[in-house]
Amino acid sequence: MSAKKENLQINPGEPVGAIAAQSIGEPGTQMVLRTFHFAGIASAVTTGLPRVTELLDAKKVPAGPLITIYLNSEAKNNFAKAEEITKKISEIKASEIVRRAVENFSKGKITLIVNEQALKAVEMTSRQLAGIIKSKFSVDTDIDEEGNIEISAHTKKLREIRELAVKIMKSTVRGIEGAGRAMISQDQKTKEFFVMSAGTNVKDIMELEGVDKSRIYSNDVFEMNRIFGIEAARNGLIRELLKTFEDQGISISVRHLQLIADGMTFSGVIKGNSRRGIIADKESVFARAAFEETVKHLINAAAFGEQDRLNGVTENILIGKQIPLGTGSIKLAVKSGKEAKPKEGKEGKESKEK
Amino acid sequence: MQTEALQYVKFGIFSPEQVKSLSVAKLTVPDTYNEDGYPIDGGLLDQRLGVIDPGLVCKTCAGRAKVCQGHFGHIDLVRPVIHSEFSKIIYMVLQSTCQKCHKILLSKEQTEALKKKVESDAAVEELTQLPMPQNKEADKKAVKKIKNIKKCPHCGAIQEKLSFSMPTYYYLGDRRLKPDEIREMLSKVSDEDLGYLGMKPQSGRPEWTILSTLLVPPVNVRPSITLETGERSEDDLTHKLVDIMRINQRLEQNINAGAPQIIIDDLWELLQYHITTYFNNETSGIPPARHRSGRALKTLTQRLKGKEGRFRYNLSGKRVNYSARAVLSGDPSLNIDEVGVPLSVAEKLTVPFYVTEWNLEKAKEILQATQYPMVVNVIGSDGKRKRVLDANREDLIKALAPLQILERQLQNGDIVLFNRQPSLHRISIMAHFVKVVPGKTFRMNGCSTDPYNADFDGDEMNLHVPQTLEAQAEAKYLMQVSEQIFSPRDGEAKINPQQDGIIGSFLLTLEDTYVTKIDAEYLLGSVGIIELPKPEKDGTYSGKSIFSMLIPKGISIEIPSKNGKVVVKNGALVEGVLDSVTMGNGSKLLAKIAEQYGNEVLKNFIFNSAKLTQAFCTMYGFTLGIKDYIISEKLVEERDKIISNAKKNTQELIDKYDANTLETLMGRTPQQSLEDMILAELQIERDKATNIINQYTDKRNAALMLANSGARGGKLNLEQISMFLGQQATAAGERMNRGYKTNRLLPHIKPNDKSAVARGFITSNFLEGLLPIEAIMHANGSRVSIVQKGTGPAKSGYISRKIMNSMQDYYVFPDLSVRDANNNIIETIYGTDGIDPVKVQLRHQLQEEK
Repeated sequence: MSAKKENLQINPGEPVGAIAAQSIGEPGTQMVLRTFHFAGIASAVTTGLPRVTELLDAKKVPAGPLITIYLNSEAKNNFAKAEEITKKISEIKASEIVRRAVENFSKGKITLIVNEQALKAVEMTSRQLAGIIKSKFSVDTDIDEEGNIEISAHTKKLREIRELAVKIMKSTVRGIEGAGRAMISQDQKTKEFFVMSAGTNVKDIMELEGVDKSRIYSNDVFEMNRIFGIEAARNGLIRELLKTFEDQGISISVRHLQLIADGMTFSGVIKGNSRRGIIADKESVFARAAFEETVKHLINAAAFGEQDRLNGVTENILIGKQIPLGTGSIKLAVKSGKEAKPKEGKEGKESKEK
Repeated sequence: MQTEALQYVKFGIFSPEQVKSLSVAKLTVPDTYNEDGYPIDGGLLDQRLGVIDPGLVCKTCAGRAKVCQGHFGHIDLVRPVIHSEFSKIIYMVLQSTCQKCHKILLSKEQTEALKKKVESDAAVEELTQLPMPQNKEADKKAVKKIKNIKKCPHCGAIQEKLSFSMPTYYYLGDRRLKPDEIREMLSKVSDEDLGYLGMKPQSGRPEWTILSTLLVPPVNVRPSITLETGERSEDDLTHKLVDIMRINQRLEQNINAGAPQIIIDDLWELLQYHITTYFNNETSGIPPARHRSGRALKTLTQRLKGKEGRFRYNLSGKRVNYSARAVLSGDPSLNIDEVGVPLSVAEKLTVPFYVTEWNLEKAKEILQATQYPMVVNVIGSDGKRKRVLDANREDLIKALAPLQILERQLQNGDIVLFNRQPSLHRISIMAHFVKVVPGKTFRMNGCSTDPYNADFDGDEMNLHVPQTLEAQAEAKYLMQVSEQIFSPRDGEAKINPQQDGIIGSFLLTLEDTYVTKIDAEYLLGSVGIIELPKPEKDGTYSGKSIFSMLIPKGISIEIPSKNGKVVVKNGALVEGVLDSVTMGNGSKLLAKIAEQYGNEVLKNFIFNSAKLTQAFCTMYGFTLGIKDYIISEKLVEERDKIISNAKKNTQELIDKYDANTLETLMGRTPQQSLEDMILAELQIERDKATNIINQYTDKRNAALMLANSGARGGKLNLEQISMFLGQQATAAGERMNRGYKTNRLLPHIKPNDKSAVARGFITSNFLEGLLPIEAIMHANGSRVSIVQKGTGPAKSGYISRKIMNSMQDYYVFPDLSVRDANNNIIETIYGTDGIDPVKVQLRHQLQEEK
């Protein structure tokens, strides 16, 4: 009747890795079907199976970066201040407010045809924009009567003018580079304001005034690793995986996700579950050959005189031995003598028969 | 139970001498059979390489086909040829050694440092018996650095530009290096220098990758097949080897005849081509060798590679005996851990009976049987299997002795493994107890279908009979259905009453369900209970009290249900109606029973409650028909109101958009905002319709009860049948938007019409039927979901394979840490607390005790 802690304990030998892998793989089939239930609302964040793939393969650049910025005690309940910070973060690129750049190669000039509507929407004027461009690219700027910006490039080389035009159009004219469009949100429970942005640049955003540095969170695990270290990346991985599955209405024990995240990060760097990540680092030649790029692994093994000590699961299945997990991880010592004989004979004969 | 164990496998390259010592025959004739149909001596099917024809005897070991495993032969190549698969490694060695003195392009100091590292690594490996983790990135960087060194630090020779082009061309400056030159260069590299490059000279020197003798695999590796016409058809490898030998012979003749260098080089090149394609017929940069029919040959690499290759097809996956496959059907009278096996299958499958001196009498008894549960084979102590026939039965009984094995037919109570593909998780294979049944299909209780994701619409399942006592014990104690009720994924119940079990418990436990004494006796009798609960004042029995008879005493729990809550006090259901939340998938009631009474009691509870409630379903006369979907006039009125409302509101949004007064959503363009808002609006109207159904439909409406109990189908189905279908979406979840250039879905719609109806909002329902235009839009929506169903499993299957391959070595060490095959610690304690996810439900008890 009574449940003691020992009763709940995991059994030694339990193949927890395989179980974790199945627990993530099995609901994968259901996930795809549920994805398109997703209706409307501005959000470029990837969810569902593509996101899981991205996390497990440890893709360096996430398809839908998202940063959540909490504010310090001063700003978190003050809408005006929160809005101000949002504005500071929100990234506006020149290409969003400039219709196109017209190059005049003979005069060495570039004319930016501004989109007045867009300019108004972000509360900027041509003059401000010209000023920003002037200081950023150290060029001379002029504004014509229609509000378009004329830039003198100080050069007449075709290539340099074209490059400058492209650079200007790609440049960030306001906000933090890479942060993306930010928007203000309110927490349902605590009623505090926080900022979400469809980009990520933890380093620069952390330095802003009014930002709570201890709670800043990016869904880019590689960035978390770069700035906060591997433990943060591990926790980020768990959190992102858990969230992705929960969004789909799939419940998974955290233990499985923890194990996967630990497997990906225990070496100190993030390694994906792919032929270049964890599997490439396996010692066993057979395990690698049985996964992908069979011949490449065999050839390299021959050239470098590798040895397979047959410690893992795949290798032992290949050669027809019992796997060293579960009940196979337990060995029983039998006193050598007549009693032990009968069993040996039986197995040997049966396999020879075939 | 292992008698001999392989300790390790070493990889390496054969030297020409090793090839020759391995070979039993030098092959010289580029042909297979002579006119009489006998293998030619010195040909590719030389009888010294083993035999495949049943009549012949191997000339090397005198064994017949099947006994002789075959022997290797060899071909002496007139000119050396590069093993193309090693071409990158050859390039690497050439790059890192001096072109003149053939020493590694590193200074003394650098090599000293490397030497120390190599030696210390070796010492660690010696000590730990584990290989040092290889830092491949660092190795790559080192080679990159080496190849930029322009001047040899030893002899001072300036290094010429060395280049390599796939598959086997090497150039020094502009001059092409011939294989013999390369071999010369490689052979001059010292063993020590090779060590610095990470190679182990004792298991293979790089010059051995330039072939001067070619090892020819035994005939068994490339058996020829005799067609019905009597014509022989050779294996692809044999074909390829014939090509190699032909060119080799021609090259030899030309050299001996003193042919011009160009002709010799051409033939040499051709020999290189044949050997390259012999190893890999998909080598990039060269056309694949083809069969006469135009089919590309399947050569060595193709045999190993990929899903159908040796590794994944034959080694990672193996075929088995003692198994069966049949169509599956349901049978509520079988317990949830039983499987119905048709007699015809039970007669074929066998279970071993190990004869010992203590069970000799029993062995004699079963051997005597002449019909169904009888012994099929006797395996003598010499390992020979003899069929038991009426003619030899008496002899076999006489000869019966310990160490023999009797193979008896499968019978009731035997444990077997039951499986349905795709085997996505471990509960896709569970151990069931055999129940031999008439008919030709496997039978299973409906409650156990969830883990297998099975249904009875033609699904087939596999059955395996464990053959050793160890395997049987493991199946019984670890894989039994009653041990697998809770999923390892989240620890929730996955085996529970389904469909009729759910609707039955819903009906039985409704507030106004009362049955007469006779009915109560019938119901409880169906699960073998011969007591009656306390009757009501009028002598009837409440459904709740009947159901309570199944709940073990001592269970007290309060859990939320679909429409309120369910309260159980000391084994009696006192409040609430059972439904899919309380009885179905992830039921807390089931978890509670397992917690207090264990899996065996829970197993019987699930079985009995399903049986009881199904019996009540029958008694109630639960049925579903068209009439359940015909809605009242009032509801028709409400429905029309909702539809016109939806159309009107959408139109308003569109008008606003056209007038440029529509507020744009953050981060979205005006068009996107319009689409989002219309979708949201239509969703609101649909929700209204869903709520209204509930409000205006009779509570005893069968379809509604099915939805409310969660037994099958949701309110959405009800709504689509009786009310209206609603918006048809594209794969991206948008309104339908692709069609004619004039921006319309169909010719019947005005160009640029953005209204609800023009973009896939269907106002008809399934009961009344769809309008032709709507039918097309609906078909379009259906197609989207079919396409998604096709792509989804393929993608998720690959992810599964990848994680499985990277994580399968992780296991719990006795100290509860998680380790991999090389003893790396992945987690210091599993899951931060060492608790099994399957047993997590028990944790509540633990907290209460504290």
